[in-house]
Amino acid sequence: MRVIIVKWSLVVVLMAGIAFSMLFGTMALDLNTVWAQGLSAQQSLVLWHIRLPRVVMAAMVGAGLAVAGVALQSLFRNPLAEPGLIGVSSSAALGAVLIIVLGAMWWGSVEAWHMSLMAFAFGIASIGFIYLIATRQGYTDVALMLLAGVALNALTGALIGVLVFIADDIQLRSLTFWMMGSFANLSWNTTYFVGAAMGVSLIGLWWLKRPMNAFLLGERTALHMGFNPRRFKWQVMLLSALLVSSSVSVVGVIGFVGLIVPHIIRLCCGADHRTLLPLSALAGASLLVYADLFARILISPGELPIGLLMALLGGPFFLMMLLAKRRGF
Amino acid sequence: MAVFLDTADSLSTDAQAIELNAVGFCVASHALLRGVNVRFLPGQISVILGQNGAGKTTLLRLLAKEILPSDGRIMWAGRDLTHHSLSSLALDRGVLEQTVDVAFSLTVEQVVSLGAEVGADVGANFALHVDTKARLVARVEAALTACDLQYLRQRDVLTLSGGEQKRTQLARVLAQIWPENDQQPNAFAGKWLFLDEWTAGLDLKHQLCLGTQMQGWVKKGLGIVMSLHDLNYAAQLAHTCVLLKKGEVLQAGTLAETFKLPLLNEALDAVLRIEKDPITQKPWVLPGL
Repeated sequence: MRVIIVKWSLVVVLMAGIAFSMLFGTMALDLNTVWAQGLSAQQSLVLWHIRLPRVVMAAMVGAGLAVAGVALQSLFRNPLAEPGLIGVSSSAALGAVLIIVLGAMWWGSVEAWHMSLMAFAFGIASIGFIYLIATRQGYTDVALMLLAGVALNALTGALIGVLVFIADDIQLRSLTFWMMGSFANLSWNTTYFVGAAMGVSLIGLWWLKRPMNAFLLGERTALHMGFNPRRFKWQVMLLSALLVSSSVSVVGVIGFVGLIVPHIIRLCCGADHRTLLPLSALAGASLLVYADLFARILISPGELPIGLLMALLGGPFFLMMLLAKRRGF
Repeated sequence: MAVFLDTADSLSTDAQAIELNAVGFCVASHALLRGVNVRFLPGQISVILGQNGAGKTTLLRLLAKEILPSDGRIMWAGRDLTHHSLSSLALDRGVLEQTVDVAFSLTVEQVVSLGAEVGADVGANFALHVDTKARLVARVEAALTACDLQYLRQRDVLTLSGGEQKRTQLARVLAQIWPENDQQPNAFAGKWLFLDEWTAGLDLKHQLCLGTQMQGWVKKGLGIVMSLHDLNYAAQLAHTCVLLKKGEVLQAGTLAETFKLPLLNEALDAVLRIEKDPITQKPWVLPGL
């Protein structure tokens, strides 16, 4: 019952967010005139080719990052496993930045899929690395997982710094996106591309909802219940790397969505992945749609990088989580 | 030399037996089990006894196909265990580990449902295993009742006491293999339970109540292999025993064959005294002088 209420309110909230995002922005739409005269050519261009792909992308990335958070948390059996925190996002960003700065040396023209492929390769390598370091006989050492994440974040940060240092002015401008995350300058083409990658991985992870539930009881128990833990781990790593890297490769690093959203959904609707996965996708989509809306209108006509905004929201939230843990829930 | 546990059973149950032939298991050239020849029969409770580190858990993990033997092989119902898929095994056997730690909040009922759902859509023949919702609920209820958990069903497992958590996990394992018509005389035929120190942490009431129920399920064809530390409870429950010492089988056989003073003293490295329970006529083991 509660799940149904939460689900439908999230659907309504998301739809309203999408509608608001279409209406508000640097170019204001007056509903009365639109009603009377219809959209002008310029208005419809802004709506269909700038605002709509942007809001669709925000929703997809939000859903993708939240679901990647759920998947990694079930893999590591820990609520702190978040793509940003354990270094997966920054590794994927390093892959993308490598292509931005050095890609021209290998290919005549650097295309979006080069960056996505590299981001994916780096994303999956980082998940595998952290998993190998943090897991002993099916048990994840949380301290090791987080420390490995800290190390990866520091290392990728330094390497990105090196690349920034050798980048020219034009490259520097595109680099800024990866550092802070932004939904500006999106076209329908990238939206299709990301949509396809996300669609595949979201469906794939939904397919894994039962082994994810079994994994709540541990790797050995999941095996006793007939699931192959080794295969499951690789599937989750591949699919969540695909989610994180396809979003990072187009909008840069956006942290904390994968931490905040699953945590809240788990608190209100429980840890069963059959509800956790779809509700997290809905809530993540809503969160980023609204965050993007505020990022655009807060300092209009300028724009706040959404990665910064999420860090401003997520940092305090993370501290609250830690304090709650210290009090023993 | 092979030590077999087939005592008074017909050939038909033999075909369903689990047979270990010269099974060994090594970790980094350190042998945890060596040359184990044992046969477990359905319709019996087999108890594995031994000191800490004698290999009881390793033996149970081999039976569950959680690990594969380094030497020898395990025959399960006439076929090599490696040829049974994990998903088909999940329908035939439940495994209770010594400890299960749940990662996130789930209610008792949700945990038990996870077990009941195992049979719901796994297996090669999909149509055979599609359970209706009502059947799932019935399995959950049967398992909750067997473990006396109805009054705890909405509790968060993370807030339960150790014994309650154990019962919850046992209920999940039972729900996994619970037969459709549990009243039939052979309802549990072909099903197995592997229990690793299931009594640890349980209060006396629940130990006895579950032990009594186990004896009933065994009569309906269930095979149970368990490790225990309580010798007297082992003597009450066991049809057959396996005495393990440092990874090797010291003795395996019926209660009468294994509950002998020198054997027990050696297996457990303790000085014991065996009396006879005047009522049940079963052996009664006490620390000796």
